[in-house]
Amino acid sequence: MTVAEAPVRPRAPRAGHPSPMSVWRLLWLELRRNAMPWMFPLLAALFVFDPYRTAMSYPPLWDLRASVVVNKLLPDFVAFVAGVAAWMGSRDSRRHTADLVTATARPRWAAWLVTWAATAIWAVILYLCGVAVIYGVTATQATWGHPLWWPVAVGCAELAVISALGFAAGTFFPGRFTAPLAAVAAFFLSLEGFDNAVGRSSVYALLSPTTSVPGDDIGVFYHYVPDLAIAQLMFLTGLTVALLGVLGLARGAEGGLRLRRAAVVLTVAGVAAAGTAVGLVGTAREGKASVTIPALHDAANDRLIAFTPVCRPAGGVPVCVHPAYRAYLSQVKAAFTLVLREISGLPGAPARITEVGDVGLSTTPGTISGPPTELSFGMPPTVGSFGQTKSGFAGSLQVALVTAFIPGDGAASGKPGGSGSAGSGPPPGAVPPAVQARQAVQEGLLKTVGFRLPAQPPQLYAYGWPGALPTPQVHAAAERFAALPAATRRAWLAAHLAALRAGHITLAQLP
Amino acid sequence: MNVEIAGLTRRFGRNQAVAGVDLQAGPGVFGLLGPNGAGKTSLLRMMATVLPPSSGKVRLLDRDPGAYGPRREIRRRLGYLPQNLGYYPSFTVVEFIEYFALLKEMPATRVPAAVAAAVERVDLGDKARAKLRTLSGGMLRRVGIAQAIVNEPDLLLLDEPTAGLDPEQRVAFRALLRELAERATVVVSTHLVEDVGAACAEVALMNQGKIVFRGTPDQLTARGEGHGVGDAPLERGYSAVLTEARS
Amino acid sequence: MTAAGLQKPGPRAEAARPRRLLDLAGLRLVRLHLASRRVPGALAALALCGLVLRAALYWHWSLSSGNGAQSLALVMEAGAASVIAVAAQSPFGDPERATGRWLPYLRLGSAVGLTAAAFGALAAGAAAEHLPGGTLDILRNMAGLTGIGLLLAAVTGGALAWAGPMMYMIVAQFALIGDWPSPWMWPARPPHDLGGALCAGLVFAAGIVVATVRGARAFREV
Repeated sequence: MTVAEAPVRPRAPRAGHPSPMSVWRLLWLELRRNAMPWMFPLLAALFVFDPYRTAMSYPPLWDLRASVVVNKLLPDFVAFVAGVAAWMGSRDSRRHTADLVTATARPRWAAWLVTWAATAIWAVILYLCGVAVIYGVTATQATWGHPLWWPVAVGCAELAVISALGFAAGTFFPGRFTAPLAAVAAFFLSLEGFDNAVGRSSVYALLSPTTSVPGDDIGVFYHYVPDLAIAQLMFLTGLTVALLGVLGLARGAEGGLRLRRAAVVLTVAGVAAAGTAVGLVGTAREGKASVTIPALHDAANDRLIAFTPVCRPAGGVPVCVHPAYRAYLSQVKAAFTLVLREISGLPGAPARITEVGDVGLSTTPGTISGPPTELSFGMPPTVGSFGQTKSGFAGSLQVALVTAFIPGDGAASGKPGGSGSAGSGPPPGAVPPAVQARQAVQEGLLKTVGFRLPAQPPQLYAYGWPGALPTPQVHAAAERFAALPAATRRAWLAAHLAALRAGHITLAQLP
Repeated sequence: MNVEIAGLTRRFGRNQAVAGVDLQAGPGVFGLLGPNGAGKTSLLRMMATVLPPSSGKVRLLDRDPGAYGPRREIRRRLGYLPQNLGYYPSFTVVEFIEYFALLKEMPATRVPAAVAAAVERVDLGDKARAKLRTLSGGMLRRVGIAQAIVNEPDLLLLDEPTAGLDPEQRVAFRALLRELAERATVVVSTHLVEDVGAACAEVALMNQGKIVFRGTPDQLTARGEGHGVGDAPLERGYSAVLTEARS
Repeated sequence: MTAAGLQKPGPRAEAARPRRLLDLAGLRLVRLHLASRRVPGALAALALCGLVLRAALYWHWSLSSGNGAQSLALVMEAGAASVIAVAAQSPFGDPERATGRWLPYLRLGSAVGLTAAAFGALAAGAAAEHLPGGTLDILRNMAGLTGIGLLLAAVTGGALAWAGPMMYMIVAQFALIGDWPSPWMWPARPPHDLGGALCAGLVFAAGIVVATVRGARAFREV
């Protein structure tokens, strides 16, 4: 049929108010033709290389796997999300469709919002695919707990704001270099933001999404406290809403007074939400295991998670770990057995060994309490996570037992070995002779079980060494102590342990 | 009258693109002729409400486009094909037309049928699912026409609509124009005088931002008798009027 | 008036052709080619990268020490390489390809020139500040990253070519932290390391060759 043969069409009814279905239809068109899916191959390769590999190197604990979602998956994505969003924002300018779009009834702001929404939805979908893989594999491996969803929600919110920033940049600066510069700026911000959060002490650094990394033992010993995540969600969502409102106020947005008012309201509401979050974060304080914000805090989250430990005897001494670490029980038992052979039966030797959360340990990796004497220890990074080796894992546990059996100078030395982070050591100064003697015996005992203390401070304190850096004299005394026959060493300990612990023995008095 | 313009001007810096244009047009096809830089595209863009005038009065479809509400209503009933048609290369023909149908706030339930009808009217039925980047220049132009007519506009503005169309397609296009003009005002800006002669009931000739002729194609032809340069009568009339305007 | 009355045009003047690039017309051709690639905008973007690097090192932002400084420099190098990759995009497509013999030289000149400008901007940004690896590091990294960007531009077009240097940069951040030994991770290698320099140089050469011969692909899907 040609045009000439086509029947004259009856006049169609006028267009009424836009229906929600037409918005969905617009969104569907934009989703189908968005540029974000083109990033999928690169993002998939990056996902396998970085977040997935890292996650699988960690023990199957939900808090550790959630930390990968925040610390690895998100920063890997933000650059590409920002770049593509900027590219989509500049589409009308690049494709010379500005006049066409302007000459339609729907405000240009509405068209922009739909395009942005499609970009953000794709970004979140790709991100959630990564989360699904990590969490899905974890679900098949984990022996305890459940997925942590708050960090995932914060990640989605961050992607929304990053895409809004990139889209706004592309809309206002529609040049060909906006996309790469937006990508670099986003990555730089995420890198710098993370370092600010870790390196600087300002409480407002907590607004950075990378601080929503779950702390140690969250979901294992302690409930996840969502206070900070809620504040971050509020902040990021507020920023997103404000940015979208600013888009509506742009010159090319084309809207009447009502739309302009709506844009102003959105902008103000977004800024208010973000400002409220800033205010809330300003009241944050360190809780037992997490940061808490009083106005958002639920005291029920402060309770410890009840659990029944799993135990195995090590030479008559039950060694018990949290069910989440069930898979590591044999390694833990093997590590402690070597030391128990040296000290069992001696005063203060533990009759039971139990894993506790890091917070229960104050500043040392292990604590002996009782009677009945019980060693409480924090699980160090397991083999393969944070570069941990078999000998390092065993060594950390042995340090915990030895330094609890013979307490050192008690100086704070940074976080215990269970956190995987290097401690910083006590302030410099002369170490008292009695402390040196205790250090020599500790090091000597460790040498007898085959563990050599590292010489460099970062590595040493990564094992949870609680005291000052041992001096060369201490090392020499430890060598001599370790070289003693086992029976001689044991007899000396039996006779002198009390005096050693009380600080009455000096280096010169060691055998 | 669907178009009422009085004393319209538009300035770009020191360049006076439109220098006081008066125009009234009702249903029918209205041709706009003129050399390059005469101000046709600027005039059309102002009528399409994408360019605000520097001064003058405009009423389109009985509304003043200066205010947002009336402007939005005009745009619901407007179809516009710019001279340089931008498009999204990854969209298919149907998606592109549907996109603009939705932006024109057509009821969602009517859109599929309207899009299908527009595609058929420009004879792109067999290319409906093809991506725009695979189409030839002439086909892209027809897609542009389709998006302009999808909402059955009361005011249709077409800037160089037949650029890239072959002669057969141009004939079909003129028939389409006549059909649309039965109830709508169609303003066609073109260099091709034969398009004007074949389709337009009335024609205006612009030069240096002003309308220097207004009348029927026959009247324009008459102006060229004994004067003007050109192979066809309308061309001679065109050049005669321009020569007179420039002298 | 009939066609017979029209004046016949005079003998067509021979259009001036640039016999040597150093001709005035040749210079004009170069200038127009650079304008078509938005090179002035690219230079401004490169200068911005240098300025950000300078600011971060000068004001001792938390990244600006040890490995952190190298990380930061790597981000800026990737940004500069992304800009160069995007600048390779031609706005003309086929009409430009169907011209004479100067196009490959123009592509070569603009790619190499922009890489040199990027190196200059970043070196200036790092000047007088302690950046481990120094300017040699910057030169090597810039060359390698630019090669990656140009290679990807030949596949995906300039529009998305920035993703290549960005991805490599993210991977290289881990290489920096983990001191990876592979020479293909040249940012993690010492500045005088021959293997790293060779690999970066190879990638750069490959990218330059492809950009010179083929240019960026006219990818029009997005």
